[in-house]
Amino acid sequence: MTAAIPTIALVGNPNAGKSSLFNALTGARQKIANYPGVTVERKAGHASFADGRPLSLVDLPGSYSLTPASPDEAVTRDVVLGQQAGERRPDALVVVVDAANLDNHLCFALELIALGLPTVVALNMLDLATRDGLTLDPAILSRELGVPVVPTVAVRKRGLTDLLAAVDGAILSHQTQATAQPAPPPSDVALHQRAKAIARAATLSETPVRRWTAQVDAVVLHPALGFLILLALMFVMFQGVYAWSEAPIGWIEGGIAALQEAVTAALPDGFLRGLIIEGVLGGVGSVIVFLPQILILFLFILLLEATGYMTRAAFLMDGIMAKVGLSGRGFIPLLSSFACAVPGIMATRAIPDAKDRLTTILIAPLMTCSARLPVYTLIIGAFIPNSNVGGSPVGLQGLVLFGLYLSGIVGALVVALVLRRTVAKGNAAGFMMEMPRYQWPRLRDVGIALWQRAWIFLRRAGTIIFVTTIALWLLLSYPKVPTDSTESQVDYSVAGRIASGLEVVVAPIGFNHDIALALIPAMAAREVAVSALATANAIEAGDDEEAMAQSLSERLQGRWSIATALAFLAWFVFAPQCISTIAITRRETNGWKWPLFMVGYLFALAYAAAGITYWTAVAFGLG
Amino acid sequence: MNPKLDSAKLGIAVRISRIDWDHMSHDEGRRLREFGLMEGIEVTPLHRGSLFSRDPLALAIGRMQVIIRARQAAMIEVAPTAP
Repeated sequence: MTAAIPTIALVGNPNAGKSSLFNALTGARQKIANYPGVTVERKAGHASFADGRPLSLVDLPGSYSLTPASPDEAVTRDVVLGQQAGERRPDALVVVVDAANLDNHLCFALELIALGLPTVVALNMLDLATRDGLTLDPAILSRELGVPVVPTVAVRKRGLTDLLAAVDGAILSHQTQATAQPAPPPSDVALHQRAKAIARAATLSETPVRRWTAQVDAVVLHPALGFLILLALMFVMFQGVYAWSEAPIGWIEGGIAALQEAVTAALPDGFLRGLIIEGVLGGVGSVIVFLPQILILFLFILLLEATGYMTRAAFLMDGIMAKVGLSGRGFIPLLSSFACAVPGIMATRAIPDAKDRLTTILIAPLMTCSARLPVYTLIIGAFIPNSNVGGSPVGLQGLVLFGLYLSGIVGALVVALVLRRTVAKGNAAGFMMEMPRYQWPRLRDVGIALWQRAWIFLRRAGTIIFVTTIALWLLLSYPKVPTDSTESQVDYSVAGRIASGLEVVVAPIGFNHDIALALIPAMAAREVAVSALATANAIEAGDDEEAMAQSLSERLQGRWSIATALAFLAWFVFAPQCISTIAITRRETNGWKWPLFMVGYLFALAYAAAGITYWTAVAFGLG
Repeated sequence: MNPKLDSAKLGIAVRISRIDWDHMSHDEGRRLREFGLMEGIEVTPLHRGSLFSRDPLALAIGRMQVIIRARQAAMIEVAPTAP
């Protein structure tokens, strides 16, 4: 009789629909954190029994057995065995199995049931099994397994009340009964045979599988056509990031301008007004503006994952990735890195081979993350004409953006090739994964995930970016330039003087004082480069109304040559400018060796790339 | 020499007659068994490679599809299914 809230763990194979069930049970009441000491995500949430008693739910990483093959599978094992530091052993298990894949999923279920904890099996995605022509009898399954079996369709919220009632019952009867001695684990083969026999017994009828998904796969996984489709999807994704974000960006800009006017009207001229208008609204606002683009990018990635296409993409990419010593497994973390390298690097824990994983971590920052988008957008908007390429519907600006993404990818492949032959030498990486069935993405699941990403971005904007922008504004505003001096305020300030020192180093690759100034705070987060440029420009404009009226990109056009702008873009393709990425690399590789290596090689690449771009552009008369 | 899974014809079910467990790592072998790839099981190779590569290989095992590399498929001997 414990008064504590019972903890129930959701556990099962990958692709069993665990996350959907978790979302359906907890709604948006979720908390994502890390298990102490490891960077495996701990997803927890709250729900309540029918009579209102609360319970806490933990969603464990998908796993095939209690013998882990990767760090996240190890967490699953340790939690269910009660060996995970800082985590109480769950009071009950909900084993989630895919109704259409019992043969396979029952193996892990049998292993888990043998642990002797109160256990309920959720026979999930029963609707898809029916679609595939399967008729199952949960009662027979329950008798064979010796635990309650509850049919669920997580995405339609079917069976959830029954599931929780069964869990409640299992915990109660466990308390009154003597605990069964856990049976010794049977061999792989014996386990499979038993799973198969049980699955056969519970299957009442089975019509041949409907094969429309096979027809889709015949096209999507076609060696040549499938690859073209993948490229086309990526291209649409990057064009979409541009085209669909225009209107919402306009609204946000309008809102910030209105706020600035309101503050101007309400406050007298002075320190506070300057801080709010130039520092807070100018700086943070210039980053918030990119929320629509980041959300569009994440939406694409989430949809590709939810439909089951992402694994097809991994299949198509495996051949290329194998040539540079990686595996298709690495494609998913790398694609996530297009949104942000931090979750991307965390997603590498699903890669079983240590050297394969290390290489993927080291090249993840080369994928163009969303934090670079603000920088790219600003510079492209200012320097690349908004016209179409030769009368086609392909926009020149979108094309340049695509080119920048491509440079990062090609750079990453070359770096991987070199690393796998030098510092990360090892056996050819393996590639084994399950191909999920196609599914309609569930708006609710996609919505929750999208909201979580937006929140992370806004929190970053509200903390790291806010603080660095304010700090930079202070450094730029003081000391005040004497009225009789010919120097500008920016050059005279503390930040301006530091930048002048850095300028000596970056002048050969075409960087001017503005850029040197923006590079320092951009170490905190790349997008700060934009707010730094905005803040510096706002301060320099001062009370000059004409200069204030000019947009940032108009001002940049007057101050930078095209060669400098291109070099700045090339720099950002490679530069390791994000402290969070360095920190997560340190945690994932357990030391400073690899993050320092990463920072070193990326800075060297960035310097070389910017230099080559600048000198080439100057040679073509763009200097 | 029995035919191996890496050269099996796509779309035609075959029965696994022998797997060379000794020539793969412990983890590789275990993951294959977790996918249900064992002696006596029927599998259907479905898709192979992309562009210029013959890797990887997608297989149907029962109602599940899994992806493995050609290197592992080369260690799996197959025989025609009983008519």
